[in-house]
Amino acid sequence: MERPIFKPIGTPTEELDTPALIIDLDALEHNIRTLHSFFKSNVGAQVRPHVEAHRSPAIAHKQLAAGGTVNGIAVNTVSQAEIFSQNGFSDIFIAKEIVTIQKIAHMCALAQHCKITVAVDNIENLKTLSEAALFNNVTLHTVVDINTAQNLCGVEPGLPAVNLALAMTKTEGIEFAGIMTYEGPILEKDSGQLSQLSKKWIQPVLDTRELIEREGITVGMVSAGGTHNYEIAGSLAGVTEVSPGSYALMDYKYRECRPQFIPAAKVMATVMSHPEPQLALLDCGQKAVGSDLGFPIVEDFPNASITSTSAEHGYLVFSDGQSEVDLGDKVLLTPFDLGNCINLYDYMNVVRSGKLNSVWEVSARGRYR
Amino acid sequence: MDNYRPQIGTLIKDLDTPCLIVDMDTLEHNYGNVASTYKDTVVKMRQHSKNIKSPAIANMQIREGGTMGGVCAAKVSEAEVMVDGGIHDVLVTSQLPTKDKILRLCNLAKRADMKVVIDDPRNLRLISAIAQENKVTIGVLIEVDTSMHRAGIRTASQGVELAKQATDLPGIDFKGVMSHQSLLGKPDRETRFIEGRRYMQMCLDVKTAIEDEGIPVEIVSTGETWTIDVAADMPGITEVEGGTYALMAHSNDYMEDYDIAVKVLSTVISTPRSSTAIGDVGIRALASPNGVLPAIDGDLKIKVEGLFDEHIVLRSQGEMPLKIGDKFLLSSGQQDITVNRWDKFIGIRDGKVEAIFDILARGCHN
Repeated sequence: MERPIFKPIGTPTEELDTPALIIDLDALEHNIRTLHSFFKSNVGAQVRPHVEAHRSPAIAHKQLAAGGTVNGIAVNTVSQAEIFSQNGFSDIFIAKEIVTIQKIAHMCALAQHCKITVAVDNIENLKTLSEAALFNNVTLHTVVDINTAQNLCGVEPGLPAVNLALAMTKTEGIEFAGIMTYEGPILEKDSGQLSQLSKKWIQPVLDTRELIEREGITVGMVSAGGTHNYEIAGSLAGVTEVSPGSYALMDYKYRECRPQFIPAAKVMATVMSHPEPQLALLDCGQKAVGSDLGFPIVEDFPNASITSTSAEHGYLVFSDGQSEVDLGDKVLLTPFDLGNCINLYDYMNVVRSGKLNSVWEVSARGRYR
Repeated sequence: MDNYRPQIGTLIKDLDTPCLIVDMDTLEHNYGNVASTYKDTVVKMRQHSKNIKSPAIANMQIREGGTMGGVCAAKVSEAEVMVDGGIHDVLVTSQLPTKDKILRLCNLAKRADMKVVIDDPRNLRLISAIAQENKVTIGVLIEVDTSMHRAGIRTASQGVELAKQATDLPGIDFKGVMSHQSLLGKPDRETRFIEGRRYMQMCLDVKTAIEDEGIPVEIVSTGETWTIDVAADMPGITEVEGGTYALMAHSNDYMEDYDIAVKVLSTVISTPRSSTAIGDVGIRALASPNGVLPAIDGDLKIKVEGLFDEHIVLRSQGEMPLKIGDKFLLSSGQQDITVNRWDKFIGIRDGKVEAIFDILARGCHN
């Protein structure tokens, strides 16, 4: 468990113990407002926030309260679904194939508390889900997972997807909900290019929808798109819901492509050593910022960058040879990849106007199963 | 937090996944190596708890032998977990730059022998002031930068100056010098000995310079997994800060006497194309710093091709032998980063769950 010193509400941000995960409430609310206002006035698709990126029921409640949603959320694992079910969410889409008997039994138990929808890409798995649903006297809603850009899980669009959808409609204990793909993230700054690529990957899913409906079957749910292209995916006729996740807290990875969102999650670190004029060592390394996919960015000091991270240290280097920080100073880092950073913390220090406003738990941290 | 705590005795094939498992025989083998290496040497192990984050597992090495009886901790919060877990001699290997952190250290010093590294006279004076207020004595070691261009003094004269101040300040007990070194890639034994001796000698040179001023140096704490054998017979070194050796990682497999004890058990959830299998664990749980992918156990025809948030992609030569529901084991390229993402070790012996260890210092960043 993280063992920070809990300071009183109202404590100035710079007096918090470090490393600390800091959430700027104004930026978070701006991001949620920006995306949800698009969907509130959208005639087609609605938003189903993917909560894996932040793992926080408090943030997920704000997302649903902002409107334009399907009144449900998406998660990646059954144990994440458990946390959000306990926290009052009644419509949870597990956007990943669930195959172990323990997890399937757990999912059936959750289905007695809330509506559970799950991704499927295999007929044998569908049979196992059906047997478990019947045994537990519940209904599992299933979605055909369609592979497009990612080459991860999923059946191919067209006939393989149609056949799996047909099988779902004929399987007891199973309610065919629809089809999904995740084609992202497409990190593309040019809006024309982004639009073209998004349509290229989503169109086969829309074509598949038509093929299924020609069989006389209603496709209630067509899920595609994310933070990278929510307004494009959300405007395509036939897409019913979009599951963006990163938009709420944002990270540096999406920053240039999605300038309408502000990084709301930072890690505050302290200078612990200043051994050379241009070099300061921060008390925040790989374990506290999650630099697997890229080093964090120091937005407050244009001359400075994190040139390396070791397990417990961040190397803050000033390019003009003279550091602008001293021993004990606080430095805010913007994580490159949000999901890997949030999952390292148990607590979010929520701040407004430079003062601690709330401490939220990262309730679904470490929920990999 | 993960709340998976399977029944003791559960067969490994019946475990739900992903989960972090520790092979108890391998852990004991690694601990036995250290106990025998340091049985009759002046140098003893001071195991680094940042790699295992469990006092229960740290105490196993102390009982097995070869140690000086205490551990290292990277952070003061990690040190608290170790002291609470019954370890009474802890060296904090990072500078503690704030009053909050030093106050925590000083209060631990009422229950345990606490030491911390320093590299700046201002930090030393702050520790002295807070130690005095709290009526405790803090042991300090001067960190020497040898190879990492990280924290630590750069010249022996800086070390001498700090040692003089440490000796004069109230609330401070000057103990000695400390360094940590790294060597990239997979060096052979000869390279390890040449480079290890060269780096650790830089730390010993600072010790000599301080002693030349008439200040006794009691502790030289240096060395790590790749120098366990190098440090064993270097005169002047008193303790080695090995961490990775206990559980190991595939990036360190050039240390042939030590085997990988910690692995992630995963299940195939999809076989969408003929030579592809997708597993139920990704970068969140496995860690992949600097792009180093995890390695899969067993069949050499299967390779890890990619790591996504919560998926892993396996690729085989020819038809994929793994089917949906099959389990496989993965070892990470960096052991401590991976352990820090889990709440429990599931201890396995003879294919069954023998013990479950809470990773109590997981997330102890503060």
